[in-house]
Amino acid sequence: MNRLTVENLSVSFRIPGAVVRAVSEASFTVRPGRCLALVGESGCGKSVLAHALLGLLPGNAEASGSAVLSQSGGGGDVELIGASERTLAGRVRGRAIGLIPQSPATHLTPVRTARAQMQEAVREMGRPPGTADELAEKFGLSPADLDKYPHELSGGMAQRVANAMALAGDPWLLLADEPTTGLDRDLVDRAMGALRALCDEGRAVLLITHDLRAAERVADDLAVMYASRIVELGPVREVLDRPRHPYSAGLVDAQPDRAFVPVPGMPPELTALPDGCAFAPRCGHRTDACDVRPARGGGDGRVACHHPLAVQDGVQEDAKEDSRA
Amino acid sequence: MLEARDITVRYGSRTVLDRVSLTVEPGAVLGLGGPSGCGKSTLARVMAMMLRPRSGSVAVDGRPVSRWRQRAPRELRTRVALIYQQPRLAVDPRLTLREIVAEPLAAAGTAAAGTAAAGTGTAGTGTAGTGTAGTGTAGTGTAGTADAERVAALAAEVGLTGDLLTRRPHEVSDGQLQRACVARALILSPGYLICDEMTTMLDASTQAHLVRVVNAYRERTGAGVLAISHDAVLLGRWADGVAELGQGGKAAVSV
Amino acid sequence: MTSVALPQAGRRRRSLVFAVATLVVLGLAVLLVPPIVQLDERIVDLRSAGLPPSLSHPLGTDEVGRDVLLRSIYGLRVSFTVGMVASLVSITIGGLVGLVAGSVGGTVDRVLMRVLDGFNSIPHLLLGIFIVAMFSPSPVAVVVSVGVTHWTTTARIVRSEVLSLRSRPFIEAAISGGASRARVLRRHLLPHLFPHLILATVLMIPHAIWHETALSFLGLGLPPHMASLGNMISDGQRSLLTGDWWASLAPGLFIVLPTLAVALLANHLRDRLNPRRRSELSL
Repeated sequence: MNRLTVENLSVSFRIPGAVVRAVSEASFTVRPGRCLALVGESGCGKSVLAHALLGLLPGNAEASGSAVLSQSGGGGDVELIGASERTLAGRVRGRAIGLIPQSPATHLTPVRTARAQMQEAVREMGRPPGTADELAEKFGLSPADLDKYPHELSGGMAQRVANAMALAGDPWLLLADEPTTGLDRDLVDRAMGALRALCDEGRAVLLITHDLRAAERVADDLAVMYASRIVELGPVREVLDRPRHPYSAGLVDAQPDRAFVPVPGMPPELTALPDGCAFAPRCGHRTDACDVRPARGGGDGRVACHHPLAVQDGVQEDAKEDSRA
Repeated sequence: MLEARDITVRYGSRTVLDRVSLTVEPGAVLGLGGPSGCGKSTLARVMAMMLRPRSGSVAVDGRPVSRWRQRAPRELRTRVALIYQQPRLAVDPRLTLREIVAEPLAAAGTAAAGTAAAGTGTAGTGTAGTGTAGTGTAGTGTAGTADAERVAALAAEVGLTGDLLTRRPHEVSDGQLQRACVARALILSPGYLICDEMTTMLDASTQAHLVRVVNAYRERTGAGVLAISHDAVLLGRWADGVAELGQGGKAAVSV
Repeated sequence: MTSVALPQAGRRRRSLVFAVATLVVLGLAVLLVPPIVQLDERIVDLRSAGLPPSLSHPLGTDEVGRDVLLRSIYGLRVSFTVGMVASLVSITIGGLVGLVAGSVGGTVDRVLMRVLDGFNSIPHLLLGIFIVAMFSPSPVAVVVSVGVTHWTTTARIVRSEVLSLRSRPFIEAAISGGASRARVLRRHLLPHLFPHLILATVLMIPHAIWHETALSFLGLGLPPHMASLGNMISDGQRSLLTGDWWASLAPGLFIVLPTLAVALLANHLRDRLNPRRRSELSL
């Protein structure tokens, strides 16, 4: 049974004079047939998490924790954190985990045709030569499209080429890092539709995005990331309609088709994370209990908060006094 | 009124804008939608006087525009401020956020004084030697206390705390950088603001915040806003009316 | 559980140490030895001709009895000075041409680029020889020769950098914010060009030294009695035939070592001057 189990994954960087904690104790599981969307504002650490899974961290990064890739019929489990380049290149990248890039147009080599690049990918992955054409057809690309150069492809087509290339090695898990950047609504819908189709055929998708509406379209589960932590993780409809964490609620409410109200304040710097709950300074439900960092609890491990919102229960939270440090 | 009439722009043989007309009224938000690649950004640049059209005219509060880019008179081109989609490309990577926000003031100071403004150093965070050494100052000197206050006020309004202002672009997130860009756009109190996909790369909360800042500015000063976005839901909520740009042409204004 | 470490840190530190140490040692030698020793280069001592390396002559003597080590140090001093000045001349010409071509554009750009192509189409050395032949062999002639033939690379680099910067939105944002052309140049373009120019200068020095060496080797550079690495290699040719290898090896080493050190230093400098890379590498 294929599975990616991430447990207490932490990534930090050393920069002159400080340590950036980009990811703190992230835990989640990705299973085939399901899409997990990781949402959060820019700078919250979600892209770093994706890079950590693929072993693509820069030289000054330190990673701890565990991310175990279990595969049926793939030669046993692979511990992604700290894995050697040989393992990563030989067994993981492209073969177990496929990367759908942020900007397909810049991801493709400008001096070679789409076909040439796809065939190269297929060759590298050791698949039979006809695979390139099969993949192209699967994504609705005609032979004429494949003979174009990247700058001749429209945004939507370039994306389809990138998707096809990501599948060259038949990976079971697809990692899409902000794939909606620069696309208009139609293209976003189409891209999310394509990802959903991949899920439905038995693959798994880990989608990294700041776009709640895109996540809504494709995800089964939603993880909300704030200041390097996963503060809420649950079924997508649950989290969007009945958010338990104040930040999730704020984010949902900030959308233009809701209250269109920003969450007041700014997130803490990743170089100066507080000991307690990172969201507390901005939270209306803050109490002294929040000086201790909350773990993800509540039975289903859904939310990391000392005072999770419980819509059905009404206003129980407001009874506690606000006390500021 | 910021008025564009029959604007045509061609890149080589490709017609990007074909006799497009658009009017931005003071105090109102006009939305501009349309598929990507249809020329919205190009129109934005023409209306900000940064791109010379093949034909057509632009008028700012009745004054016709005859010269473009740095040839356009300073007081005219600073009446229209442009906020770009990608903040990272729209800022000088060597400057601190404070210098970025204060840059238009410094440019005005230089022009007014005729010489480089005397000022405090810009050494910042100990990375001196590779920054702006020897090539000018941010104009935050003796004559600039009012300037410094204005920078601080706008920075606070967009949500940039003091420590962030000393950072360089690669040390801050896209959201923080875009806040700096919004502050920079507002610092000379422009009469018109063109937001070219200003929030497309931002999360929902930052988007809501920056739209609020723009609206607050509009209410304070009666400025006109052109909001360009492919997000119809956003425009429906934010704009007073929405114009659609088709491929190379233009359809009617709708509400 | 497991930690990922920095693999390249040790390597880059070692290469930096090597580069700096080499340059410091050579630099000190070049600065301190001549004033202390006060060698008169025209004096020869035929009795000591062709001696192999020994305690009194660490790198041996050449065919007219001059100590090779001492002469190499003098030679390096000359070569370095000539190289530095020539390099500065070259960068200045190239930088100006590139800046004007890139920022003014249009006809001016086209004309300048054709001039540049013209210079490029003539082999460096040939042009260099031609220029030196117009004056009598002297350090000034060599400087002019090198300076005039090497500006084209810098010009191209600067021009392309200026062109790429000009089209970036941040330049447009500055203009929209009211910056004049002069201000854009001073505040936004030049600071970006500065690191490139420094790097270009540093890299040009060994190139200039090699060029001077080549000219001197051909007998067209510095006068024969003046120690220059090129002269020495040329003279050393004859000694090679008689098996006196040290007369050629020493000047050769004295060219190769600083060149290598400068290249390593330039690498490190390039990383330091780029703000983003600096953060990534924790410099």
